Amino acid sequence: MQRSQTILQRTLSTPVILIAILAIVALAALIVGTGPFNQTVIEIFIRIVLVVGLYVFIGNSGVISFGHIGFTCLGAYMTAWLTILPAMKKSKLKGLPDIILNAKLHYGWGLLAATIFAGLCAYIIGKVLMRLSGIAASIATFAVLAVIIQVYSNWDSVTGAQSSVVGIPIVRTVWPYFACAVLVVIVAYSYSISRSGLALRSARDEAIAASASGVDITRERLIAFVISGAMMGLGGALYAHSVGVVTPDTFYLNLTFICLSMLVVGGMNSLSGAVLGVVILSSIIQLLRWFEKGVDFGGSIVALPLGVQEIAIGVVMIVILMFRPSGLTRNKELSWPHWPFKQLPAGRSRAPTG
Amino acid sequence: MGNALSAQQVSVAFDGLKALSNVTLSVPRGEVTGLIGPNGAGKTTFVNVLTGFQQPDHGRVLLDGEDVGHLKPHLMRRRGIARTFQSGRLFAELSVLDNFEVTGVGLGLSRREAAEKAEAMLDWIGISSLAERTAGGLPYTDERRVAIGRALMLEPKYLLLDEPAAGMSAEEAADLVRLIRRIATDVGCGVLLIEHNIGLVLSICSHIHVLDSGEVIEDGPPSAIKASERVRHAYMGTQADAEGEIL
Repeated sequence: MQRSQTILQRTLSTPVILIAILAIVALAALIVGTGPFNQTVIEIFIRIVLVVGLYVFIGNSGVISFGHIGFTCLGAYMTAWLTILPAMKKSKLKGLPDIILNAKLHYGWGLLAATIFAGLCAYIIGKVLMRLSGIAASIATFAVLAVIIQVYSNWDSVTGAQSSVVGIPIVRTVWPYFACAVLVVIVAYSYSISRSGLALRSARDEAIAASASGVDITRERLIAFVISGAMMGLGGALYAHSVGVVTPDTFYLNLTFICLSMLVVGGMNSLSGAVLGVVILSSIIQLLRWFEKGVDFGGSIVALPLGVQEIAIGVVMIVILMFRPSGLTRNKELSWPHWPFKQLPAGRSRAPTG
Repeated sequence: MGNALSAQQVSVAFDGLKALSNVTLSVPRGEVTGLIGPNGAGKTTFVNVLTGFQQPDHGRVLLDGEDVGHLKPHLMRRRGIARTFQSGRLFAELSVLDNFEVTGVGLGLSRREAAEKAEAMLDWIGISSLAERTAGGLPYTDERRVAIGRALMLEPKYLLLDEPAAGMSAEEAADLVRLIRRIATDVGCGVLLIEHNIGLVLSICSHIHVLDSGEVIEDGPPSAIKASERVRHAYMGTQADAEGEIL
């Protein structure tokens, strides 16, 4: 038996379709052209970076992580430290090393540094955590999140503690966010069809058999953890440049809940699920935001109470878990010509069973 | 002990309860060695010891003379010891071809190299038609053949088969016998066959060890095992007469 196409040729339609979806979203911002809509689209791209980052680890390893938003915090503060005016840092963040205190870099370097820094931290933390499995690993990741947030909430001279760090250069055009979203989709896709991605997914299905097949599970998990941690750091840096201000509280349970919900709703084991989960839930969130602000129905203003967004996300997630636990995509990938979905967990088709 | 996978005086206990006691056994290259015994005799524990899933409390595991008893399972695989599991343990969400490829990448091959090797192995086993099937949906017999093929992807020097014929019909078991013979003769692999189907073990193995309560109570060629009253009593118990036909 000889396959006529390589893994890349067989599966390339997935990232192409996903990037096309992202391009349509970006073009929508261009066509509509209003500030609020522009900001909504930017938020979607940031969430795509974060949720795809989560997918790289959770989707491929099967280990639920509650701690990845910690890396988002690390990335956000790293770019803040490097891109804020030195004069502002000297008044509020005196404890920073001189080299950082005097730096004033372009935001592009901030994004790069945030990505590398978060990836490096993920490597150090992962060296310890990746020896754990199952619920123990999940709880440990949550502990990591709590530790990071506590450090950043109390290290006054370096992070400003719980007060906001302001003066981060704001980037209002959607294109850098679009480019980063495209980049993480390509990296996540490349990882999923790589030998490391295949090995990790086999360990997700059957850890003992994977080990018997020569797979070093700890090593493969660590690789995914570092890649996803770096992506989360990039997402944090993008967030910082989208609003111009960061506080540790932003990167805690609320954001963790929203990102995990988007992944669960889309389909945890699917890159397409990560992207579609963001697009669909972000649309619902945006709709509810408008209703929270009040909508004019023939002269009378109808407004939903604050907090409805979170309640709605929770309800959607419960409904999905009850009736479609493998997510809207059923853990399959968008593909062509097998439109709309095809199983691509290992970089090729999943034939019908039975 | 060159050119053999062997256990020397291996003992394992769980919470003080002896699972294996001074077990010595050798699996030569190119031959099929049988390991039989009643349920709870310690057969699977012994396989776990030989494959790095269980560290022995005492004794040594030698691979062609080298002590490998301390190695982790994935490193044992890389040294050429492969195994299958009683329950199949296929990667349920991956295709059959991917199940094979995982072993290739576990060996350090690129995906392209692993895919080529996997395709050749599917051909050799005779299951190319299953390549794109999802492993989780395979019938029981196919699942067993995939498990054996996946293990063979390692090009093992030694292959440990844990109850590969469980649940098979006589015809399917006969196919399995042919496959195991090819593995020993064509590949030159040393095979340790753990199996409850006594007829199958007697028909294919050159040497058989009998475990009971964690101890080897008998070992020898099939004719000696067949004739052993001790084996009949320990293994068959009161059903010896009923099973006599098989023997």
